[in-house]
Amino acid sequence: MRIPCPYCGSRDASEFSYSGDATLTRPAPENTEAMFHYVYLRDNPVGVHREYWYHAAGCHAWLKVTRNVSTHEVIDAVLAHDEAAS
Amino acid sequence: MLDLAHISAFAELRSIGDGRGVIARERRGIAIATVMARKGQGAALAAAVKEQFDINLPRGPHGSGSDATSFLGTGPGRWLVTHDAGTPRFVVSLAQQLDGLASVVDQSDGVGLLRLTGPALLDVLAKGVAVDLSAAAFPAGSVAVTQIAHMGVTLWKVDEAPTFHIAVARSMAGSFLHWLEASAGMTGLAAE
Repeated sequence: MRIPCPYCGSRDASEFSYSGDATLTRPAPENTEAMFHYVYLRDNPVGVHREYWYHAAGCHAWLKVTRNVSTHEVIDAVLAHDEAAS
Repeated sequence: MLDLAHISAFAELRSIGDGRGVIARERRGIAIATVMARKGQGAALAAAVKEQFDINLPRGPHGSGSDATSFLGTGPGRWLVTHDAGTPRFVVSLAQQLDGLASVVDQSDGVGLLRLTGPALLDVLAKGVAVDLSAAAFPAGSVAVTQIAHMGVTLWKVDEAPTFHIAVARSMAGSFLHWLEASAGMTGLAAE
């Protein structure tokens, strides 16, 4: 699997580390029930999914990758920083 | 009194095998620094670099400048700066020039630099680099931060000979030479 890093270009997945589900929003820390779900109860989706990947062996940027987890087709990758700023 | 001698990162670079498939030379005495833009200061940093060095700060994985002073894009808001013109305390003055705009960290003794060229260079690099380094995909001026045999490297192409410069953490220099010797031995590694 190769990931199209917006900065570096197409790179092998071994340069990245998977860093979790990008569709979740971190709840307020005092909401212990919601935090429990956020930290421990993971969905196991099929098909198109959004994930955080960290380009550890490259530009050190966090990416938001849209990927079909059933076929491993990578559909899109954007800098998480850019998306947060927009 | 202990006598301390300065030993460069690739002091053990030596020729291997017959032939000159890869020609390697260590770039010694280079001032090296990482520069990271402070939050919201990207435009001001680019203006300061233009004013101080007459260099257009690259926004992607490319190098700007010359061997004397170059800024290499290594990530969003991050650059590797090399200076080969012997200015005393270059990194200290760079940090002062960019004060408030970027964080500057001296890497001069932390990173080893090699200059690699030779007719077999691309074939040898292909044994370790999972990036397309062909002339069409990776023209002179391109920069790649990647890994070779699990070791982090920053490599950039300086001309179409092709000649590459490669930066490796000093603590990995011995292991990197092992990889280079094993990979280039077949066509000959000539140390200069």
